[in-house]
Amino acid sequence: MLEHTLQPNPYREIESTRAYRRLMTAYYFMAKHPKWFGKKVAWITSGGPVEPLYAMGVLPFYPENYGAMCGAFRMSVSLCEAAEHKGYSRDLCSYALTDIGSSFTGKGPLGPLPKPDFLVCGNNICGTVIKWYEIQARAFNVPVFFLDTPFIHDHIHEHTVQYVEKQMEGYIAFLERQLHRPFSEKRFERVCLRSFEAITLWKEILELSRHHPAPFAAFDAFIHMAPIVTLRGTLWAARYYKKLKRELEERVKKGEGAFAREEIRLIWDNIPIWYDIRNLSKMLCSRGAVLVADTYTSAWSLDQIDSTQTLNALARAYATIHLNRGLEYKIEKIVNLIENYGAHGFIMHSNRSCKPYSLGQYDLKSEISKATGKPGLIIEADHTDSRSYAPAQVEKQIQIFLEIIGGKDKR
Amino acid sequence: MDRQTTLLKVQKEIEAITSQGYREIASHLSKDCVTIGFFCPYVPEELIHAAGALPFRLMGTPIKMSHVQAHLPSNCCHLVKSSLESLLKGELDFLKGVIFSHTCDSMQELSDIWAHQGRLSIHFNLMIPTNLDSEHSHPYLKAEMERFKEFLESHSGKITPQRMKASIQLFNRVREKLGEIYTRRRKGLAQLPGSFFAQIIRAGYLMDRVRYLELLEELLNALPDKEEENKDLVPVYLSGNMAHSVSYFSLIEEAGAIVVQDDLCSGARTFRLMVPENLDPIEALTERYFTSFFCPTKHIGYRAHVETLLGDVQKSGVRGVIFLLYKYCEAHYFDYPDLKVALESKGIPTLLLDVEDPSYSLGQLKIRIQAFVEMLHPI
Repeated sequence: MLEHTLQPNPYREIESTRAYRRLMTAYYFMAKHPKWFGKKVAWITSGGPVEPLYAMGVLPFYPENYGAMCGAFRMSVSLCEAAEHKGYSRDLCSYALTDIGSSFTGKGPLGPLPKPDFLVCGNNICGTVIKWYEIQARAFNVPVFFLDTPFIHDHIHEHTVQYVEKQMEGYIAFLERQLHRPFSEKRFERVCLRSFEAITLWKEILELSRHHPAPFAAFDAFIHMAPIVTLRGTLWAARYYKKLKRELEERVKKGEGAFAREEIRLIWDNIPIWYDIRNLSKMLCSRGAVLVADTYTSAWSLDQIDSTQTLNALARAYATIHLNRGLEYKIEKIVNLIENYGAHGFIMHSNRSCKPYSLGQYDLKSEISKATGKPGLIIEADHTDSRSYAPAQVEKQIQIFLEIIGGKDKR
Repeated sequence: MDRQTTLLKVQKEIEAITSQGYREIASHLSKDCVTIGFFCPYVPEELIHAAGALPFRLMGTPIKMSHVQAHLPSNCCHLVKSSLESLLKGELDFLKGVIFSHTCDSMQELSDIWAHQGRLSIHFNLMIPTNLDSEHSHPYLKAEMERFKEFLESHSGKITPQRMKASIQLFNRVREKLGEIYTRRRKGLAQLPGSFFAQIIRAGYLMDRVRYLELLEELLNALPDKEEENKDLVPVYLSGNMAHSVSYFSLIEEAGAIVVQDDLCSGARTFRLMVPENLDPIEALTERYFTSFFCPTKHIGYRAHVETLLGDVQKSGVRGVIFLLYKYCEAHYFDYPDLKVALESKGIPTLLLDVEDPSYSLGQLKIRIQAFVEMLHPI
């Protein structure tokens, strides 16, 4: 039976990928040589408000994004080990260990990275980043701005919004101090409009996969999300996503999916297993399964963002992102994804390096299955550290899971 | 009653309340007592007490894990796993509810998982700001304290300023007496061996605080006025999480050392939580978290942990520092390498012990502590 289901399932290359590569190469070229472009560099967390940085002409660099790149290049383990040799525990987040190891050794896909001018840390994604950015602030002896966005267990309180808003004002003042020039409201508005445009486009691109077959698999989204993370607020990001959207809309018109064959539609929860994306994708598609949506890339479609993006609106948007919300919100979100994308089931990556994403997944899984009647599978791994991953075991789990889904459909 | 008899009486009462499992501890509590659980010093016990309830700190107990694996992955600390296990086994049914305060990612997620089980009727999340180095954190925390007070009032009725002040005074007196006990212990180990000392600390989070204060006073009166100094014991500093388990203190003493100071979040760290008694109670309860209290889950400047620990260690005159950290505690493990370098650069040797269930691997710990203490002995 297994042999029967393992049939070739060609992947349709996305033509815009070439433009994507050019764009990201240009970005990393600037990040590697900021002085050539007269830029100051701020290291910023993936959920941090980047718009004020672009408005002030600062180049943001994302250590988490770089960690993902190290993972995809399979360089993360040696960098984690370098950090471990300095006394850091292996149980810590592998993004952080990769970044710390890269700073110690000067190694990584881009080689030695230039020293940041300052750091911007937002804890709307996790508490790990506080410690991680404190370490880097000490190591580089640079200032850090810390944006505290209290976790929302149920609903956001008015005093919480005010607290975040006040800090956003402090953020602007911090930038003015670091850069010795005034903040331009006009430029900020322009950046916010571009950011809003890119976010809207990204949201629309992800929603195209509600179509059957899905034109854009989650594995594609994991790659093409880089501009929405790093270049949100620039013209480049909006231009690129317009191009990508046009191509995917064509696919929808023609009834073409990301893969030639799409029999099982699945939702993915958590950060990808960066070093095994290709294998996982092959394993799923060879069995006719496609990941049509995920909770990770949709986190950058900021739910509460609006086109009037004042500091107030930004504060609310950044305080209410997926990872800063409680269990009930996450249940509702995944249930909606399953229903809206017509999914047959869901795969949850229990990610050793990400507690805010992974703790609670067992309860999530049972609640989502109860609400939708769709089965879920939890696989254990780590987003960049392959030492915590048993691929053969995961493959077996996925294989059995897909057989269960296949069996259910036949009944 | 002579001193020795008083000492034995106090010891008996403290041992009874600190007996191992929650069910046994609950059997010592008054039947009509409303008991509210909490995990961390960022929950103001004073407010719970002023609401007429007993604040009961969940400190993790040795327990066989059989239910928790269905809710949590393995890389959570013992406190998180054992507490949820106790809840799922029904050992915490004597609690009316639990108050969570925002600290680390594991506790944040535990709170939601805990609430989702729906076993206890009261559940509240007190959102302590993570950035305590911002001028905006103070008004935010004060608003959270007000929200917490209103929540308690919705269950207990009005909490008057007088009741809050009385509770603040009671908890301040407890901290003062505990501070005296720390001082006396440095001078004379014989009357206060480590195992008993750990039990005294634990009891203070589990029993009626008025009775606890009486016990501390009786204990201090019963200790001899003049005590022999612990000349043969090597003074060490204990740094880390909440670790007032009898076994760790006994192991250190058996190896020939004595913990003369600590920054444990169930120990000396809480002495920094003295509440100003002349201020508005809510303002005072807020203010104290901005003075000198330090938890590594919070940001109060990126050199704060190194500077606080180094200053405390140098002041205490110890010969070495033992880091006793819960395995998987990110906040502590991220800071550890820089703390170790800072201490060792000042000639202060360190030892790292990572622990899970306090009843596990005692033999291994013993060997490591013995080797460390031997190294600290002057030749």
